[in-house]
Amino acid sequence: MVLPLKTLKKRAAGDALLARFGSDLDCTLLVGDDDVDWLVEIADGVVERVTRGPHIMPRTDLRLRATSETWARFLEAEPPPGYHDLFALRRFRRIQIEGDIRLMSAYLFYIKRLFSLLRSPETES
Amino acid sequence: MSTSQAHYEPIVGRYLNLELLGRAHRLYVEEAGQGIPLLCLHTAGADTRQWRGLMNDPEVTRDYRVIAFDMPWHGKSSPPPGWQTEEYRLTMSDYSSMTLTVADALELDKPVVMGCSIGGRIALVFAIEQPERFGAIIGLQSGATVDPYYELTWLHHPTVHGGESSAAYVSGLMAPSSPDLERWETLWHYMQSGPGIFKGDLYFYRGADGDIRARLAEIDTSCCPLYLLTGEYDYSVSPQDTQSAAECIAGVKFWVMPKLGHFPMSENPALFLSYLKPVLAEIRENR
Repeated sequence: MVLPLKTLKKRAAGDALLARFGSDLDCTLLVGDDDVDWLVEIADGVVERVTRGPHIMPRTDLRLRATSETWARFLEAEPPPGYHDLFALRRFRRIQIEGDIRLMSAYLFYIKRLFSLLRSPETES
Repeated sequence: MSTSQAHYEPIVGRYLNLELLGRAHRLYVEEAGQGIPLLCLHTAGADTRQWRGLMNDPEVTRDYRVIAFDMPWHGKSSPPPGWQTEEYRLTMSDYSSMTLTVADALELDKPVVMGCSIGGRIALVFAIEQPERFGAIIGLQSGATVDPYYELTWLHHPTVHGGESSAAYVSGLMAPSSPDLERWETLWHYMQSGPGIFKGDLYFYRGADGDIRARLAEIDTSCCPLYLLTGEYDYSVSPQDTQSAAECIAGVKFWVMPKLGHFPMSENPALFLSYLKPVLAEIRENR
């Protein structure tokens, strides 16, 4: 997995934008690439648990899957046009977004922020 | 900023009462500068504040009278009487008619019209249908059609905050390098939009009513110059989308604007002006 999801909990902790736009969010996201699915469990806006797959019939609210190459370009410090936002990926059919779209729309700033935090150069741990 | 540094911007706003589409309207209009009238049309679900950078630039306002109005239902313009029993849906003909009526009410002589996004679409419609009315036409983020890549339902729904969802939906349309201050200002306008208004603006824009691909070849740029500028990070109207339109129009001038997105005048006014000023200079010299 090219996305540094195992550091997501640390990256998200105390983030002001996540708090501003999703302090009451409860959901489970599935994030996938070519190789593996990860589950991101969020409670009261806090990333509680991030677990690497494979998962057997996971219960999820929203599923976002793209190729490893797409995620790699999304992660670039200066992502190229068309790779710089989840909806840019959607526009060019580079990502599959499925599940509770109502929830996604209500908390879209939070979800976009969560993914943009994966871009920062924080060291993996 | 200390009290002694407090200052007014040169922008002046007033309310214009006029009849649009057979109904009384109270419209908010603001302007700055003097000279060639430059009528600016904001994007869907937004308002005149998107043009603040243009109106505050002395080099622009030295030669241009920059005018913008909040469309009915937008910004500080009121919806028409009886709005409470209607669903707002913008059609192409109503948009065109309203803009021309406002231009007439303000007695603008062959104005330059500049519109962005839905305003960029209607700029193309003016180039097709009313070129003799304008001194020049500038389309920002102009496309003849648009790819419906997301569901509109959640822009106006009882269980979702429409302002926040609308802002979040458009947030990625800006270039990552645009300054935070201007990006969030731009998003605030969307958060303040009236319920269902962004969605209503997209009614013509995403529907068959607004698809003008088959009509682009009718544009005669010898009658009215047409300039198209598109930010490279826009994925709603991508540079390729504008390029496709431009290829159907003889004599059009088209530039891609690096490091800008769908809201060039608002997300990074200073950078946008660096692309726009040569266009304004050319229009002034040829007028």
